[in-house]
Amino acid sequence: MTDLPNMPHRGRLLDARLHLLDRQLLDDDGDPVGIVDDLELTDFPLDEDISTGTAAPRVTGIISGQVVGTRIFGGEPPRSRLQEIPWDLVRSVDTVVELKPTDMTFDGGWIERWMRDRVIKHIPGGTHAAE
Amino acid sequence: MQLSRFLGLQVVDAAQHPVGTVVDVRLTVAGSPEKDPPAPRVLGLVISPHTRASFLGYERSNADAPVMIAALLRWWHRGTFLAAWDDVARVGSDLVRLRAGYTRYSAALREPSR
Repeated sequence: MTDLPNMPHRGRLLDARLHLLDRQLLDDDGDPVGIVDDLELTDFPLDEDISTGTAAPRVTGIISGQVVGTRIFGGEPPRSRLQEIPWDLVRSVDTVVELKPTDMTFDGGWIERWMRDRVIKHIPGGTHAAE
Repeated sequence: MQLSRFLGLQVVDAAQHPVGTVVDVRLTVAGSPEKDPPAPRVLGLVISPHTRASFLGYERSNADAPVMIAALLRWWHRGTFLAAWDDVARVGSDLVRLRAGYTRYSAALREPSR
């Protein structure tokens, strides 16, 4: 490792890309409802000088949505294709991100459902789980 | 603003000299991430002078196996450092500028300071 000094800090460290992005999201029942595609931050001055002492941005929510197309072909999905899940709903961050009980509905898995109903279902043996 | 907008941005110092690319955003959580974590805050930017990729976290830990992969990734990410948010002077659409006299901190992931 390097000989650089350690940054003083409080609390536990998470690297967004290493520990959060692309982690699976599970609802209160343990069912997958999507993946962490991005994180929403509080606003801060963009394209202008940041004054010394300006509070660091805070994560306000997890963004999950339909990003398969843009992951393959590049670009960014329109915001209307993304769903923001308030951080208050996060119960734990580990190898997966678990959510608290909520009335929110999640539609991040529509591609998987489409594949199951239109493709996998028509493959012999595709309607029952392997034993 | 979405956090991913930071990733891949070029970073320059106060004299406009390039110092690297943002490969990750370091967050701090005032509590346990495994139990009802409060909202994380940005602590700083992980900046690599040689690559845009963030790969497996080797550059931020003492992991040394498999030896060949660890050595390759450690070489690839040599010089990676952490810049504190307080040292960020400006975030633009295509680059980040650091303040004059900014400090290069170790990018290693460590427990809280005592």
